[in-house]
Amino acid sequence: MSELIKGNKISIDPITRLEGHGKIEIFLDEAGDVDKAYLQLPDLRGFEKFAEGRPAEEMPQITSRICGVCPGAHHMAATKALDAMFHVEPTITARLIREVYYNLHYFEDHILHFYFLGGPDFIVGPTAPKGERNILGVIDKVGVAIGKQVIDIRHRARKLIDEIAGRAIHPVLGLPGGVSKQMTVETRDSLRIFVKDAVAFAQFTLKVFDDIVWKNPTYRDLLLGDVYRCESYYMGMVDKDGHPDYYDGDIRVVDQKGKEFLTFAPKDYAKVIAEHVEPWTYVKFPYLRDIGWKGFVDGPGSGMYRVAPAARFNVSSSMSTPLAQEQRLIYEKAFGGKIVHSVLANHWARLIEVLNNAERLEQLIEHEAFLAPEIRNMNLGTPTEGVGIVEAPRGTLIHHYTSDANGIITGANMIVASLANVAAMSMNIQSAAKAFIHKGKVDEGLLNMVEMAFRTYDPCLSCATHNLPGKMPLQVNLTQVGQPHRSLLRASDGSITESETQKEA
Amino acid sequence: MCLAVPLQITSMLPNGFARGEHSHVQVEFSVALLENPQVGDFVLVHAGVAIETLDEQSARETLSMLKEVVDGSQPR
Repeated sequence: MSELIKGNKISIDPITRLEGHGKIEIFLDEAGDVDKAYLQLPDLRGFEKFAEGRPAEEMPQITSRICGVCPGAHHMAATKALDAMFHVEPTITARLIREVYYNLHYFEDHILHFYFLGGPDFIVGPTAPKGERNILGVIDKVGVAIGKQVIDIRHRARKLIDEIAGRAIHPVLGLPGGVSKQMTVETRDSLRIFVKDAVAFAQFTLKVFDDIVWKNPTYRDLLLGDVYRCESYYMGMVDKDGHPDYYDGDIRVVDQKGKEFLTFAPKDYAKVIAEHVEPWTYVKFPYLRDIGWKGFVDGPGSGMYRVAPAARFNVSSSMSTPLAQEQRLIYEKAFGGKIVHSVLANHWARLIEVLNNAERLEQLIEHEAFLAPEIRNMNLGTPTEGVGIVEAPRGTLIHHYTSDANGIITGANMIVASLANVAAMSMNIQSAAKAFIHKGKVDEGLLNMVEMAFRTYDPCLSCATHNLPGKMPLQVNLTQVGQPHRSLLRASDGSITESETQKEA
Repeated sequence: MCLAVPLQITSMLPNGFARGEHSHVQVEFSVALLENPQVGDFVLVHAGVAIETLDEQSARETLSMLKEVVDGSQPR
């Protein structure tokens, strides 16, 4: 802990909380088997206050700077909220440029997750030594040449994002009614070369998944089994034809059977979604208002809903591009139908989205208006209130701002995608704990299996963000009637210590 | 929500890894995605992988912004 004493005031540096431990509380029964498990995560609640009093036009830059994992998603949600706030429709050309930027962002973010974050679980294996469960272990399995290709294609995507939006990490593209920069012929030509390679790379990566993951009976059992499974409602954005749409559309919710529960326009999100507060965490749990919060349970009586790639497939009918649709049919056949409850299915769906992004780029850059100079609609109205929703790579992301007539922010609310999945993550952890803890025995393998339960969501949560797979700071507290409390603590260097207190539960 | 906390590289480690620090918290991460990473560079890290190098001014602006957000989170 970093503590600073000034006079009689002790300040605990924010970073210690940002790097805080994910904490898991496990309650055992008298036999030492798992009764209940909860996931406790650090979070902050200061953003709304921070935003107040700032010019609305700054929000796309501010939110993309603060939220590090998917700056593109926050930049785009904030930009769309400004469109709504200033009552302006972006031009066709601006929309095309925004979508190209956004599909590039998705492509590189999803590739990063598969090879660097999820890869260690599946390509190297969840029980491999922690020293191998990283990108080097992945490269060792897939080959150095492929490792170089991964790095190269992602680098090219980032470079194109830089050309279109300023810097990838701090985009300066979105303005109410449009974008800041016209597309050049040179960048369009670079995009043409890139998309051909991107389609081929996405197809190759799906083959890697098939060869290494799906054809491995152990992994296949994990994908199809009951340990990593949750039957919740699902939410995602769809276009007018029912395809998943990452940038724009209405939001559809389906039930556990895949039947449409409701569809709503972004501006109506607050009529559909409510947020539940627990006393033990700053994390707010979004749920469906019409069903209500019923705790950490799935099924039709619980308002819990999930987002992320597999949820996007569950709410949509088919993909918007042909090659991605071919792959989706294989995916649906593998899981036995259109509605997929497997938590680990996100890894597969994510890769199909990568192919969809590459194909979609090909469509967008050939549009006749792509190079046109009309990049902004300047018919701005008096600012009032605006909601912007996009599908972030991790799921439905909501920005909502109110302002005074001068465009100064008077209120802000963000519902971040990962928060919709936190309740499910807690349930998945309980399920994994029940499957792998018996008679009070806990070891490193369990922690890896627990991490897999939430890594599949690629959560943008501070404890998960900064640490290598297998090295996320994690504390598991075990409480068993009649036994001393035990605590298993994994530090960010991956070392594990176990402590026991004398006090009995 | 996740936060983009810039970390400063304090030492290079074998096999394409580095150690970084902010406010006495040390984190190890892969630098495989960076071109020519150096001690002293500010980087953004996602899931244990440095995904971007930031110039110092930009890093300090982000840290300052984060401090304001965190201060707004303090219990009152």
